[in-house]
Amino acid sequence: MPARKLESGSPYLSDESKMTGRADMLYMPENESEVIGILKDSVKNGRKITVSSMRTGVCGGAVPEGGDVLGMEMMNGAVGIGKDDCGFFIRVRPAMTVNELNALISKKAFSDLDELTPGAVEEAMKTPLFYPVDPTELNSSIGGNISTNASGPRTFKYGPTRNWVRRIRIVLSTGKVLDLKRGDVIAKDNVLDLGEGYAVRVPSYDFRLGIKNATGIMASPDLDAVDLFVGSEGIIGVITEADVYLAPWHPLISNIMFFPDDVSSYGFVEDLRDSDVVPEFLEYFDGGSLNLIRESRISDPKFTGMPDIPEKAGSAVFFDLPYDGSVYGSYDVIGKIAEKYGGSLDDSWCGHEQNDRQRFFAFRHSVPQSIFDHVAKIKQKNDVNIHKMGTDMSVPLDKLDRMMEIYRETLKKYDLRYVIFGHIGNGHLHVEIMIKSMDDVDRAKTAYRELARAAMDLGGSPSAEHGIGKLKNEYITMMYGEKGAEEIKAAKDVLDPTWTLNVGNMVIR
Amino acid sequence: MKFIVAVKQVPDTTKIEIDANGSLIRTGVPSILDPYCEYCLDLVRRIRKDGDTVIAVAMGPDQAKEALLRCLEMGADEAYLLSDRAFAGADTYATARTLHMFITKVCPDYDLIFCGEQAADGNTAQVPGELARMMCVQQFYYTKDIVSKGDHFEVTQDYRDEERVCVAQPPSLISVSEGDINRYVPSISQHIKAKDKEIRVLNRIDLGLGMYSVGLKGSRTKIVSSRTPDVGSECETIDGSDPSKAADRIMEVF
Repeated sequence: MPARKLESGSPYLSDESKMTGRADMLYMPENESEVIGILKDSVKNGRKITVSSMRTGVCGGAVPEGGDVLGMEMMNGAVGIGKDDCGFFIRVRPAMTVNELNALISKKAFSDLDELTPGAVEEAMKTPLFYPVDPTELNSSIGGNISTNASGPRTFKYGPTRNWVRRIRIVLSTGKVLDLKRGDVIAKDNVLDLGEGYAVRVPSYDFRLGIKNATGIMASPDLDAVDLFVGSEGIIGVITEADVYLAPWHPLISNIMFFPDDVSSYGFVEDLRDSDVVPEFLEYFDGGSLNLIRESRISDPKFTGMPDIPEKAGSAVFFDLPYDGSVYGSYDVIGKIAEKYGGSLDDSWCGHEQNDRQRFFAFRHSVPQSIFDHVAKIKQKNDVNIHKMGTDMSVPLDKLDRMMEIYRETLKKYDLRYVIFGHIGNGHLHVEIMIKSMDDVDRAKTAYRELARAAMDLGGSPSAEHGIGKLKNEYITMMYGEKGAEEIKAAKDVLDPTWTLNVGNMVIR
Repeated sequence: MKFIVAVKQVPDTTKIEIDANGSLIRTGVPSILDPYCEYCLDLVRRIRKDGDTVIAVAMGPDQAKEALLRCLEMGADEAYLLSDRAFAGADTYATARTLHMFITKVCPDYDLIFCGEQAADGNTAQVPGELARMMCVQQFYYTKDIVSKGDHFEVTQDYRDEERVCVAQPPSLISVSEGDINRYVPSISQHIKAKDKEIRVLNRIDLGLGMYSVGLKGSRTKIVSSRTPDVGSECETIDGSDPSKAADRIMEVF
């Protein structure tokens, strides 16, 4: 098994949060028994282990705070394919990326895989399929996606990663291996009995299942053992294998509709949600986001690969629709709603060829990219300590209007420039504060805390998809109180009694 | 004015990978309207005036209708699909001949014919020249821009070492090699209007072509053998478990 000493500057000491950690050794196991060996040794020697794969998280979940790093990259690729009552599933090793999984499915490269149920390969070859989770960063690993219950725009229709996990294999720090299939182990009297004395009490807090939420481990009276581990940020076990379901593929048509101002977009989205039209997702760009793209296009006209944004556009809504006979009925409805809010089917873009649809997604991703570039420029010019400040809060849909007002009022109060974009269909918008100086950073932090509080008071989550990691631990107590934090720690005490795994994530001892 | 745009549906070549035997992996590769054809439609969109007619024509199987739909979205008024099992295996000559018959039969009163310089999946770049010869009209290769000057057009041709502006008198054939990289995006309204238009399908009999004039039988290109040239490259697999050592080795090779 490859192992080596980690030197400062190693990519294994950081992730997309740009935090920097410290660790001594990097171990790269090639199979589950090597994972067991490393964990047993670490416990024996009192060493901490941080699990690391593609390091695409933005909250420092893979950044080590001492001890050693368990790099999962060698445990990659797909193992098998099968089918059960819920559909086709692919058995993957933890470091397989979403991109790799998507490529495997589109190329139908199933014949080299183990056939886990009879006839699965032949049937899958004939069935158009896709993996419905789009965590935006497609170079993220499936193991990482499961550990963080990754979501993204498509969560609007398909739910987060959790909904697509059939089975997981987990190694506990004690060396015990759990092979859990959904439905096998369900909590009874608020206790999940995993056998051999591993009985976990399900936290009593309200996990707010009705909204997008990545704060804390999941809790519900009939909690499935699989769901205990999905989104647990690696603090209770290491994923060594997983089965993820695929969905039947259908052709889609991508659309971007432009509106005169921000308020007209909200109105459009609200009415659309009340109609019979079910888009695959609903993404929003405010006027500031569109201006940011316009600015980026001055220096690089190819920046989005799209034509110029119409001059009169003050906001936009991006959505996909199933591209079948039903789409024209949907367009009728959409056209009528749009006209009510100053838009029209003329003020739009649409594309159905796959390369066009990719352009639409590039356009969507150009907003965070522009922000990233802006911050990098300011950082270089003004202060190296300046960093990106974006919110990740969700609220119930009927509270979104109120939350929008709060965003505006609060950011105005602290005199901060910002842009808003993101998953409006899930009540989950990203507010990116455009920091100009270190002075802004302090005010932004205060504003951020107030906004998180407000989101929680409205029944929402302070961390809807990015998770807690090492950056947002305070939200656990803000949302679930001291009791909630203690309940998560109690679960960790049972499954990782030596507190070996991913120390610093979610809860601090 | 009447403009004909001859288009082709091609596999998205940016997504094609090559397997261990050097063969193209086509499974899962989506089909698109050839990018050069899009450049044509974009130019036509800019020069057309009220009352002008734009006719898109493609030769291919039924699924090529999707590419013609994109032409209609980009402003074509009529679309024709030339489809017949006998057209299969056509080389550039048989293709040009089929297009020639289509134009002669359906729209002989055209002013300009637009072709993409070459198809992204074949790169032969012969159809425009052959079609111009059959139609007995002047051809303008390497076109990157065209402006309307009333009864004639000014065409900008890019020969790489020379840029030429020429007068194109109708009827002429324009072969387009460049366009806006930020390709045109239609609106939902344009898509709906396009979807309502009929794509007319014509077969060999409709065009009055004999069995030996089309497809493989009507082709002059006879391929004896085909192989991927050995360019003498060597492949070294570098162990990436220590990225800095791997990087050093890569630098050494450079």
